[in-house]
Amino acid sequence: MNVGDRGSLGKGRLEMDLRLDQGGFRLAVRADVGDSAAVLGPSGAGKTTLLEALAGLRPSRGRVRVGELLLQDTANGIWLPPERRRLGYVPQHGALFPHRSVRQNLLFGALERRWRRGGAVPEEWAELVDMLDLEQLLERYPRHLSGGEQRRVALGRALLARPRLLLLDEPTAGLDPLSARRALASVLALRRRLAVPILVVTHRREEALALAAEVVLLEGGSVRASGPARPVLADPAFLTQTAAAQGRWENVARGVVERQDEAGGVTEVNLQGGGLASVLIPYHPDLRPGDSIFLAIDAEDLLLATREPRALSARNAVAGRLDELIEAGPSIYARVGPWLVHLTPAAVAALALAPGCAVWLVGKTHSWRVVAG
Amino acid sequence: MELGGIVLLTVAIATAATALILVPSIALAWALSRRGWRGRSWVEALVTLPLVLPPTAIGFALLFLFGRNGPLGRPLFDWLGIEVAFSRLGAVLACAVVALPLLVRSARSALEEVDPALVGVARTLGRGKLAAFVEVELPLAWRGISAGVVLAFARALGEFGATILIAGNIPGRTQTLALALFQRVQVGRDGEALALAGVACLLALATSLLATRLVDRRERRLER
Repeated sequence: MNVGDRGSLGKGRLEMDLRLDQGGFRLAVRADVGDSAAVLGPSGAGKTTLLEALAGLRPSRGRVRVGELLLQDTANGIWLPPERRRLGYVPQHGALFPHRSVRQNLLFGALERRWRRGGAVPEEWAELVDMLDLEQLLERYPRHLSGGEQRRVALGRALLARPRLLLLDEPTAGLDPLSARRALASVLALRRRLAVPILVVTHRREEALALAAEVVLLEGGSVRASGPARPVLADPAFLTQTAAAQGRWENVARGVVERQDEAGGVTEVNLQGGGLASVLIPYHPDLRPGDSIFLAIDAEDLLLATREPRALSARNAVAGRLDELIEAGPSIYARVGPWLVHLTPAAVAALALAPGCAVWLVGKTHSWRVVAG
Repeated sequence: MELGGIVLLTVAIATAATALILVPSIALAWALSRRGWRGRSWVEALVTLPLVLPPTAIGFALLFLFGRNGPLGRPLFDWLGIEVAFSRLGAVLACAVVALPLLVRSARSALEEVDPALVGVARTLGRGKLAAFVEVELPLAWRGISAGVVLAFARALGEFGATILIAGNIPGRTQTLALALFQRVQVGRDGEALALAGVACLLALATSLLATRLVDRRERRLER
């Protein structure tokens, strides 16, 4: 199957130069991204407004081009209404039609094409139902679905309409950690198999890192930075901005489950790269050895020692080398490989920390969270 | 038997009035449920007017407009031969005007309850404004709209003040239940008045029972 055959951006890109003004909130976004991009920013930055404007659901001025197709160019009087843009918009929480069954929801967009007259289901039906694991849900109504199930149906519904571009708004918002992991896994699998271009909106760095090759950082309605995801997200300016806005900074790492120790109450995870070879996290009964997962620990929850710590209750102590000290207002972030540790200037002075010195990173077992995978 | 005739006429007039306002009311309710267009508050005030005016004032205004020499009544009669004043049409019109705000208000709050994201998604899935309304908003607001229809119908059944002014109280032609009851009391036929009041009670009861049944059946289908 190739759902993206008509939907692909091809060599084209999503170009936007949008302005809108409503109720005192101004959004001005100029960006140019490829077929897997994330719009990242704190709540209130205008992320959802941007998606709605791209979908044509909110009036805006300026130009939007998807691949070869001009969706709007208000200076020249061009404005395609939402029904002619063919963008697969998946709002937060899915927005399933409560009066229609899952099957009817899925076919809502496909109906417009062959389904209505010919009576045949779209050719990609079977594969999508299988990939999103919807077979058991088809005759149910949205009110009887869990949040994660609703999200999968909404994804399927958008894809069956063969969109030029998928617009995902906070695909894991409001989901419990397990459902959030499954939701991210679905999106990753779809992108891999269907080659559908995706623009995802999120306020979580790990989602942006997992789903997108490029990011647009949005703040207060305008673009703070944009470009390839990893360099932009590693920029100290972004670090201090995000840490200031959210009051914390989350270290994110990919890992593979090594073993389960139910009696000891821990799960051991091998980390891929970054010095910390393996860590013990709280016991997760749903994980299996070999599972690939994303782990997170706040910079506030990592401790730093200049001598090897002994007789400590924390189980995860690993040696490393201090790469740099990043000043962020009244606090300082110490970078050890990919890990950031939040310190006070007093601690930096007391330990006489300087780039290049040997350090030990310590993270309590219960400070580690499984976020995606 | 004149009681049967009176009931039939009352139900017929109320039904016609409700049918007459159904589509315009839903259209008005839809427009009022959208924000940000000029004149919205004026339209809203005008729609609410029949609810707060004394019905006799409405009846008088209708008589002024649709009377034989009124600004609307004269051309209607001269060009189309339609007589509104002191006819069944007048009674229908009176009921329609009085019932309209009830239907508009119910339908409007039902439409406002519909999550705008659902309409947005329907649009991105290829539906124009009208199609999205018919396929998403209308079925989801159905309960509130049907409650409004019942309310409007019930209000039309009991209409008195506006009807008596524009349509008079002509036995067999415009004399509905409420008007007949009034007339019987005036001439001291209290026994007949009591019977009419009883019938009015039954009619109202039947209407609201039927409405509840309809809504419940629809709900049950959705519950599956």
